[in-house]
Amino acid sequence: MEIFMNSLTKKYGKITALNNINLNVKNHGCVGILGPNGAGKTTMLKLITNIIKPTHGEVQINGINVSEKPEKALGFVGSLIEQPEFYSYLTGKEILDFTRKIKGMNKETFNNIIDSIINTTQISSFIERKTGNYSRGMKQRLALAVAMIGDPEIIILDEPTFGLDPKGMKEIRTLIRNLARTKLILLSTHLIYEAREICDRTIIINNGIIEHDSTMADNKFLLKITLDSPGHSIVSNKIKNYTVNGNEIIVEKSNDYENFEVIEDLIGQGIKVKYVEQFDNLEDVYISITNKNKVNI
Amino acid sequence: MSKFSTVYLQYVKNYYRSRSFYLMLLLISIISIMMIYFSFKYINNFPKFLGSSSIPITIKEALFYFLWTLILLYVPVFSAVFFGSPAISSEIENKTAYFIFPLPINRYKLYIGKFLAAFTVSFIIMIIYLIVEVGTLSYLFHSLPTIYFYYSLLLLIIFILTMTSVTFMISAIFNKNTYAYITVLLIYYIVFYAGSFIIELLYKIDPIYLLSDAASIIERAYMNINTADFFSTPSISPAPFADIIFSALIMVIYFIASFAIGLILFERKEVS
Repeated sequence: MEIFMNSLTKKYGKITALNNINLNVKNHGCVGILGPNGAGKTTMLKLITNIIKPTHGEVQINGINVSEKPEKALGFVGSLIEQPEFYSYLTGKEILDFTRKIKGMNKETFNNIIDSIINTTQISSFIERKTGNYSRGMKQRLALAVAMIGDPEIIILDEPTFGLDPKGMKEIRTLIRNLARTKLILLSTHLIYEAREICDRTIIINNGIIEHDSTMADNKFLLKITLDSPGHSIVSNKIKNYTVNGNEIIVEKSNDYENFEVIEDLIGQGIKVKYVEQFDNLEDVYISITNKNKVNI
Repeated sequence: MSKFSTVYLQYVKNYYRSRSFYLMLLLISIISIMMIYFSFKYINNFPKFLGSSSIPITIKEALFYFLWTLILLYVPVFSAVFFGSPAISSEIENKTAYFIFPLPINRYKLYIGKFLAAFTVSFIIMIIYLIVEVGTLSYLFHSLPTIYFYYSLLLLIIFILTMTSVTFMISAIFNKNTYAYITVLLIYYIVFYAGSFIIELLYKIDPIYLLSDAASIIERAYMNINTADFFSTPSISPAPFADIIFSALIMVIYFIASFAIGLILFERKEVS
């Protein structure tokens, strides 16, 4: 499973939305495309899914040029781009069945997997209703189900949690995390915490060019806790990686717990916390890159 | 089932469930009822300006087929406007393109599948009218349709294909349905009809190469009276076979050209 972008450029008149992108993403895992609004994230995903055509360069999916052989290349891909709408007089079930036929999946295989997709995306309560009556969140969930039909090895998701309530957002993130164990997920978002939570690699795009490309291991996410006195030892199930320096504790944060849970844990052990600072390498990089826009203006 | 037939059947279903289909069905039903009323009322009592007493029965029958077809000619235009005009632009305006374009199917299959679906529903609407026409006139004249009916039917099929193709091409240009609707109506009724009149008036030539003029052959297959041509000499005889072939050829050229252009535009269509 591989997406390869070679000198990929997209211009709208005089505006260059994407400028000479060379990128290779392969193997399973989640790759996050971060960037402010108008950075070129969605343009990149639209080019990959043949919604728009490149001005220059090419996109290859598993070695197949998307513009030249879209039917073959997109056979490996499931996608959710922008906020898709569906034919309003069709039910969610009919939309899934239509997608199945286009993806060349036989009915027997479809019947074996559809319940799992319906349960995972939690669309069972409205799947028999016409999509014209769906809310934004319902459409988003149906679009995710559509992306999963045919068991594609690559899934392209453009702000997949848009329009969902906090509970729904968390469920979708968990789903993406699980999918990334066996599939290549390319996900665009402008939420740093979302990228940190679900992505193995992050790419920051700004003004149509790739400004930063790093794995999550490169992105330090630290919590500096200053205690009122030195010499404390910590016994905690949550905090695994930390160093103590005088009355300062530097915790390497993971996505398994929230900041307040760490503090609660320390207070529970009778340790008095003076103040807490958070250091987010990814956030710092993101802000420094996007701040360049303001300087340019 | 192939992807092409999946698309075709899906869009037939989409059209069949749309309001446009029922609107056209209502329109054709009203027109059919009015034509039945007209036929029964005037079969033995022609208006004086048509000179009923001197018309032989075969001419009378041809005249009735001519009048039914004259009304029918407007239906493919409306049908094409309803089914064809929003065909491509609606995918962009309604954002369904974000669902359909990333699916693993070549765009030309989508275009052709959708085109044939629009043609099918238009043809179904016409068939309803034609069945009523043949039923009514066969009952009134105690005879089955002549060969001219089949000529006219064949020409009508070509005209529906052409009108659908022209509207698909226009729809592929725009991203908004309203623009596509207005443009199709403007082109057909203003550019073609008014253009035809102006050309005839200024240059004293019959612009047979205009689609509206060529389409008049569908009625002229019964009687050579061109209602789109103000300066032609009417004749109660059917149009010559050469005229039928020539007009059919003009429509086929429109069909091929508009289909090719529409397909190219759709292949390059972007949702941005």
